[in-house]
Amino acid sequence: MAVTTLWDVAYFLSSGLLGVLAHILPPLAWLLTNPNLVWLLSALLFGAILLGASMINTIMLIWFERKMLGRFMDRRGAMHVGYAGLLQNFADGLKLFRKNTFKPREADDLGFYGGPTAYMVTSLLMFGVLPISSGWSDGALPLSMLLALVIFSFAPLFIFISAWSSNNKYSLMGGMRSAAQMIAYEVPILLAVVAVVLVAGTFDLNQIVLEQQNYWFWGPLFLALLVFSIGMLAEMERIPFDLPEAEAELVEGWNTEYGGMLFAFFMLADYLRALAGSILIVLLFLGGWTLPTYVPAVATSLPLAGIIWFMVKTYLVFGVFVWIRAALPRVRTDQLLRIGWMRLIPLSLVAVVLAAALVLVKCLPVFGCVPSMGG
Amino acid sequence: MAAEIEKKQNPSAESPTGAVLKPLATAARQFARSLIRPSTILYPFERLEDPKFRSEVAVESGRPIGVGEVWDNYRGVHALNVNTCISCNLCAFSCPDLCIEMVTVPGGDPKHPKKCPQIDYGKCSYCGFCSDACPEGCLTMTTKYELSTPNRKDMVYSPQKMFEQFQRKLPMNPIRLERPANEDAILLDAPLCIGCNACARDCPTNCITMLDIPKEAPKPGEKAAKRIWKEPVVNDSDCVRCGTCISVCPKECLFWGTHS
Repeated sequence: MAVTTLWDVAYFLSSGLLGVLAHILPPLAWLLTNPNLVWLLSALLFGAILLGASMINTIMLIWFERKMLGRFMDRRGAMHVGYAGLLQNFADGLKLFRKNTFKPREADDLGFYGGPTAYMVTSLLMFGVLPISSGWSDGALPLSMLLALVIFSFAPLFIFISAWSSNNKYSLMGGMRSAAQMIAYEVPILLAVVAVVLVAGTFDLNQIVLEQQNYWFWGPLFLALLVFSIGMLAEMERIPFDLPEAEAELVEGWNTEYGGMLFAFFMLADYLRALAGSILIVLLFLGGWTLPTYVPAVATSLPLAGIIWFMVKTYLVFGVFVWIRAALPRVRTDQLLRIGWMRLIPLSLVAVVLAAALVLVKCLPVFGCVPSMGG
Repeated sequence: MAAEIEKKQNPSAESPTGAVLKPLATAARQFARSLIRPSTILYPFERLEDPKFRSEVAVESGRPIGVGEVWDNYRGVHALNVNTCISCNLCAFSCPDLCIEMVTVPGGDPKHPKKCPQIDYGKCSYCGFCSDACPEGCLTMTTKYELSTPNRKDMVYSPQKMFEQFQRKLPMNPIRLERPANEDAILLDAPLCIGCNACARDCPTNCITMLDIPKEAPKPGEKAAKRIWKEPVVNDSDCVRCGTCISVCPKECLFWGTHS
C-alpha cells in the first residue's frame, strides 16, 4: 500500500530545497541535482525531524502526565500558558535554560558536567534505533532490538558517574540505588524480550512488528508483557519504583546537586527514556504501527498514518504508567528486591517457557486476539 | 523472609494483587469522575458565586439561591453610605485593631466638618464590631473578599471608596438597627454646667436641646438670676450613645450613668 511516510516527507523537502538552490545557482546545478546529495540531505533532514519530534514529544509527554495526574487528583493541571497549558513545559524549559548552572566546590568537573550530557545523549540515541513506522525498514539493522536495549541500559552508568562526582551523600546513595535497581531489573526485561524473540524469530524490531500483522503479541505473551512493563517502570524510575529519587529520604536522589540546564537534561532524559520505554512496549507487544482489520482502511491510508497510530498507542501506554503512578505508593527497598528477584524473574522464566511451548505446538494464531493489517 | 516478617507484624496485610488492583480501581474511578469536571475551579477566572455554580452550591448549602458560596453574612469589605453617616465616631471607637480613622469628607459645614471612617484593611481583622456599633446602619460589610494588591497604600479604603462599594449594591450583612440593651444614659452634673451649648452643637443626632432652667429658685428677698441659664436635656430615644457630648464638655459635667 502506498502510504506517505516520514522518509517521503524528508525526501520531498530535500529535493525541493536542492531544486530551488539549483535554480538560483545554475553553475552548481550539476552538483545540487546529484541524487546522492539529495539522499544525503534527506537523511540529515530525516534525522533532524526525528530529533525535533522526539524532543517535542517528550515535552508533550510531560504535559500529558501533568494533565492526567491533575485529573487523578481532581484538579486540572497546567492551564494558563497556551491552550490548556500546552506551552507550560516550554515555558518551564526556558526558565531552566536561563538559570545559573552551579557546581559544588568539591565536585568533579568531568563527571559533573559529562554525566548529564552523556545521559541525555544516550537517551536521544534510542530514537535513532526505534522504528516508528514502516518507512524505517530501509536502513534497518538485523539486531536493532538488542542495540536499543543496550543503549537503554547505558543509563545507570552515567547516573552513577554524575551522582558520584557531585560529592553529596544523597546523590551518591541515590546513584547507588539507581544503579542497583536498573541492573537488577535488566534481567527480567531481557528474559521477557527472549519470549518475544522466540515467537517472532528475529531481533529486528521492524521484523517483530511485521510478525504482528496478523496478531499482536500481547495476547499470547501476556505474562511477558506484564514482566516487561513492570521492569520498564523500574528502568524509568517511575513512581512505584522511584527509590533513587525518593524525596522523603534522599533530597532529590542522584540529581540533588543539579540545577538549571543540567537538571533540565536529567528531567528531559528521564522522560525520553519513558517515551522510549513506551515505544518499546508498543513495538514488542502492541503491534507497532499496525491496526486491526476492522478499522476502516481510511485510517491506515492517511499520510503518516503509521506514525499517528503509533504515537496514539504510545501515549496510551504512557497513560497506564501515569495511572500506576497516581495509584500506587513507593515500594521499600526490600519490597523492590523481592518483586524483582522472587516474582519477576520466575514469571519471566515461565513466560519464556510458555512462548517456547506456543511456538512448538504452533498454536499462536489461536491467541491472536486482535487481527491486524499492515500499515 | 521479609514477607514473613511483614505478615507477622501485620497479619491483615492484603495480598499483593489486592494491594495493587484496589488502588488502581480507586484511581480509575476518581479519574473518570474528574474527567467530566474536576472539583477545582479556575479561581481567578471563574468563581463559586458565578451563576453557573449557583444551583449546586445553593443545593449543597441549603441556603437560598442568590449569593453562591459566599453567604450574605460573610464579612468582607465595608460599604459606607456617606450620606447617612452622622460622624458619631462609634465605629472607630469600637475597632479593636485601631484601623479606623475618621477623615473629613466634603458635605459638612466649615466649622464642624463631616467625618467618615477610613479603614486600613492591612490591619482590619473583619470582626464586624464597627458595623454592629454603627447606630445608623450606614457602615455594613459586603461579600467582597478580593483585596490583593501590589501596593500597600491601596489597602486603605477611603470613605469615597467604601461609598462605591455601597453603590455597587453587593450582598450585604443584615443591618442590625435595634440598639443593644444599654442602660447607660448621659447624665448631667447640673451644678457644674455653664450652659455653653457645646454638647448640643456637636451632637450628631441633635438629640440634645438646651432648655431654659433657672439656675436656682431665688430665695425670698433676693433678686432673680440675671441670666437665663441653659442646661442640656438628652432625648434618650434618639441618643446613639456616642459620647461626643461627654468628650466636648469643657467642664466635664456630663457622664455615663443610669436613670434611677
